[in-house]
Amino acid sequence: MGKFEKFLMPMADLLSKNRVLIAIRDGFLITTPLLIVGSIFLLFANFPVPGWEDMMTSAFGPDWSSWFTAVSRATFNCTGLLTALGTGYAMARQLGGDKIQGAAVALVAFFIMMPTRHQATGADGKLVEGFVSGLSFGYIGPDGIFMALLSAILGVSLFVYAYKKGWTIKMPKGVPPAVMDSFAALVPSAIVLSAAFLIRIGFSFTAYETMQGFVVHILQTPLEGLGNTLGANLLYTFMCSFLWFFGINGPAVANSVYFIGNILTAKQQEAFAAGLPLPFIFTNPFSNFFTNYGGGGSTLSLVILMVTTCKSKRIKQLGRLSLVPGIFGINEPIIFGLPIVLNPIIMIPFVCVPMMNLTLSYFATVLEIIPRTTGVSLPWTTPIGFSGWLSTGSFVASLWQFGLLILGMVVYFPFIRTLDKKYLEEEIAANAEVSEEEEIDFDNLDLDNL
Amino acid sequence: MVKVMMIFDQTQAGLGGKESPDLPMGGKPMAIGACGMFDRFLDENDGQVVATLYCGDGTYHADTETTTKKFAAMAKKFQPDVVICGPCFNYASYAIMAAHTAKVIKDLTGIPAFAIMAEECTKAIEDYKQQVTILKMPKKGGIGLNEALSAMCVYAKMLYEKQDTKAFEQEYAY
Repeated sequence: MGKFEKFLMPMADLLSKNRVLIAIRDGFLITTPLLIVGSIFLLFANFPVPGWEDMMTSAFGPDWSSWFTAVSRATFNCTGLLTALGTGYAMARQLGGDKIQGAAVALVAFFIMMPTRHQATGADGKLVEGFVSGLSFGYIGPDGIFMALLSAILGVSLFVYAYKKGWTIKMPKGVPPAVMDSFAALVPSAIVLSAAFLIRIGFSFTAYETMQGFVVHILQTPLEGLGNTLGANLLYTFMCSFLWFFGINGPAVANSVYFIGNILTAKQQEAFAAGLPLPFIFTNPFSNFFTNYGGGGSTLSLVILMVTTCKSKRIKQLGRLSLVPGIFGINEPIIFGLPIVLNPIIMIPFVCVPMMNLTLSYFATVLEIIPRTTGVSLPWTTPIGFSGWLSTGSFVASLWQFGLLILGMVVYFPFIRTLDKKYLEEEIAANAEVSEEEEIDFDNLDLDNL
Repeated sequence: MVKVMMIFDQTQAGLGGKESPDLPMGGKPMAIGACGMFDRFLDENDGQVVATLYCGDGTYHADTETTTKKFAAMAKKFQPDVVICGPCFNYASYAIMAAHTAKVIKDLTGIPAFAIMAEECTKAIEDYKQQVTILKMPKKGGIGLNEALSAMCVYAKMLYEKQDTKAFEQEYAY
């Protein structure tokens, strides 16, 4: 294990400190709350109870659902645009540049390199003859995420580089700072936009026509395919819990590399809103709600065992305290309190249960026992049962979640029993050694003669 | 054998999380909670936890003087060889309690005491590093936890054996 750690630590260190990877991760953090809110609106438009649609139509008329999808479209179908802004901002923050200016430059570079000539349908639903010019949801949406990442990373790097090199227009003293800043950004912005301009021209001579066409074809589509495989997701799940064993926040490291789930989720949601067949299995809601219950390691199963089957006072007490946070996916009390960190006994089920859940849920989806997730993103704190139902629209998925919870208890049982025995022996030994009662009493202390 | 006493907050004691800062002072004459993270390092250094005292960080901040005095009185009663206040990770409020407690125990009882926390706990480090040894460790979920906890146990043994700790502190303390 020591050797393994020597190999793993520098890698984790590299990943968690790499500025580009941090910027990508933080950029998505900026868009996540908007996607969750957008999801709630979409959920309202498609609430998974029978008769909902008829009821709403009779109350508000036939157009009611388009009111709600207007909001979800403005979030999910604009994920590329939001990514350019968010990652541009985060990247500028990482590099120590002007943050809002960085976000704006990333966004404009993104626009320059995207297709702006489209076929369109008119109000009557028929294809308009020839081309129209404008921004298309098809390009500023999920299909634009990779292009947005590239624009933000390359654009902002160049912007900050030029700025730090001092390639700016200097203003005389006494000019207000806001004016000074806007002039300081002039030359670096010009460099970035000119670069994007040249790239656009360059690609116009190729079969891809635009850089975005190229990126979608060469990078995004193959990576989406890879991201939707069981193997990639097993590896991700393994790293998330395995790193915790060393005290390292696994998801914080793994998410900086594995951001493809965000794209799959957004595309899934787009398809769902349009009433098309759902293309993916491994969306974020799938990995959040069908892999782990009660936090990383699916520890809700463990906590229930701690309360119901354990005899050690410490474990029982910790279990009771951890039950309510566990229902909402928080397991910090047991991560350090049991502890799980650096605990070789609990590590085995802690790593295995999420992988088992993932594999079983994958096959359950393939065999159509549970439906695919709709891409509707819920907060990760959504309790078991509700999360399965709302993310798929089916109560069968809720039942499936509880089935996995029970199965997780079966796997955790022998391990927590071993730990329970060990703690129980320690507690008995401690009681035998010390003649006074088990609790240390702070009430009758002499504080004056210290 | 090095007799070690631990000072924990509610999370490390395994008695709650951020939602229970009001945990009253208490303790057990044994290793509990987060001790499981470093018991093998203690074994390697011939150490044993003879008592774990704990206190919610909110309870401490409500009356810092009495709390630290009570910890000191309990240390005097148990007579451990070393008192370890931590590991605090980046729990800033617990870090202040730990550093303050280490100082009070050292000053009032003469028993060697030190704290261990992540660099994010800037206030505790700034206010106390001149007066008490504060060892380095990663924040929650950070890299290098094993190494830091191992160093913590090595340092406890060094204090017990009254070794020269200058070079060690240069490397591992703030």
